[in-house]
Amino acid sequence: MSSDHPLDHAAIGQLYQAHHSWLRGWLSRRTGCREHAADLAQETFVRLLNARKQQTLQQPRAYLSSIARSLMIDQYRRRELERAYLESLAHFPQVEVPSEETRLLILDSLARIDRLLDQLKPRVREAFLLAQLDGLTCAQIALRLGVSKATVERDLSKALHACYRLRYAEC
Amino acid sequence: MPNADPRLVDQAIQWMIKLRFNTADDASTAAFEQWLHTSAAHQLAWQRVATMNDDFTQLPAHVSRHALDGARQRISRREGLKLLGLLAGAAGLAWLGRDYTPLPALMADYRTATGERRWVALNDGSKVQLNSASAIDITLNAERRLVNLRQGEVLVNTGADNRPFWVHTRDGYLRTLGTRFVVREEAQGTLLAVQQGAVAVYADSHDASARQMIKPGEQVLFNRSGIRPSPTNGLDPWAWSDGVISAHNMRLDDFLAELGRYRNGLLRCSEAVAGLRVSGTYQLEDTDQVLKLVAQSLSINVTYRSPYWVTVSARV
Repeated sequence: MSSDHPLDHAAIGQLYQAHHSWLRGWLSRRTGCREHAADLAQETFVRLLNARKQQTLQQPRAYLSSIARSLMIDQYRRRELERAYLESLAHFPQVEVPSEETRLLILDSLARIDRLLDQLKPRVREAFLLAQLDGLTCAQIALRLGVSKATVERDLSKALHACYRLRYAEC
Repeated sequence: MPNADPRLVDQAIQWMIKLRFNTADDASTAAFEQWLHTSAAHQLAWQRVATMNDDFTQLPAHVSRHALDGARQRISRREGLKLLGLLAGAAGLAWLGRDYTPLPALMADYRTATGERRWVALNDGSKVQLNSASAIDITLNAERRLVNLRQGEVLVNTGADNRPFWVHTRDGYLRTLGTRFVVREEAQGTLLAVQQGAVAVYADSHDASARQMIKPGEQVLFNRSGIRPSPTNGLDPWAWSDGVISAHNMRLDDFLAELGRYRNGLLRCSEAVAGLRVSGTYQLEDTDQVLKLVAQSLSINVTYRSPYWVTVSARV
């Protein structure tokens, strides 16, 4: 969509002046932590700088709070993912506990994959994981899921397209 | 960054499926080589599609699968708490093009982080204290006062007012006029402990025992199968309000599960020490210090594999 263009910086400056402290208050009530709220408010405006939006904002506060909300949800999911990952490590005692640095890299990857999986229908998700994580071929996946090989290939195609959109559309 | 031609991206994806997720023969490999060398645009499309797999190549398969499934389960369990009033949030997200289901706790009016406690004053004179990792909504109108517990635990001190005071939890409703009580979500249901006044419980159940009046000193657990007395496991249910954890002859595994609510990461103990008994009052401000003190008094080991993963076991 080449007609999109970012809000210009002056417009964002105005938004910042008019709504930043409101947003911080809004976030502070929800997160229950003033410092965390300040970080998230900052992050919201950073997101806004990178966002593509065609016209001036009709309802800036609704827009800002929806960005802020999605940031909170990202963090929430990430925390849940982190807990789940730690539990998984405990569940497979033979796996070596990774260094703090590797752990962060793995969590980043998992977070991206989790975001992707969230967009896929259950069968597509399953087929995709069997292919990517377990290294099964389309024929093996077809057998496992009780569908035709052509269906598996279509599912994988859907998953890869979703993957592509997530990865490149936002640039 | 230049945009890749969508048609070529689609072709690249088809090649990926053919080559990586099928057993490729020589003929298809040759055909792919030819396709790839058609133009620079083809190569760009392929390069982009191929690098999408980077995330997967470095992941340990079993652990990752387990973690991804685990996270989904955790999140959908909480979505079971889905309540009205979230639609506005959902619309906002859909508009942003994000496909996330809003999570009740994040949309709540008031919320605390792990390890945090907080008082909220209502304008009727009531006060509600949120325990660690808790979230509530508050509605005050002419007919009633309502606190919606979305996650965690609250202590309620109702103010003098003629309107009934309601608390809604995932397992039912509580109704009262002037009291002091705590409500907390647990895995098996909602726990209620009353200190003053009386609280009527309306469990979300068809069982005949689903309505009861709970008096000071009583503690019950309610859920879909009704209301039943909940014998204490040694934990003082009021202590957290003062910033301490207070146990009397409490099993170590129960104690650690409780302490785990106030810190991030995992806190586990081995079978061998699970049944040891803990008594004492400890400051919640520093949970590492609590672990240290408990370990000293029971002569057990606390192992930090990382700040997020702590194991308590017998001393070797």
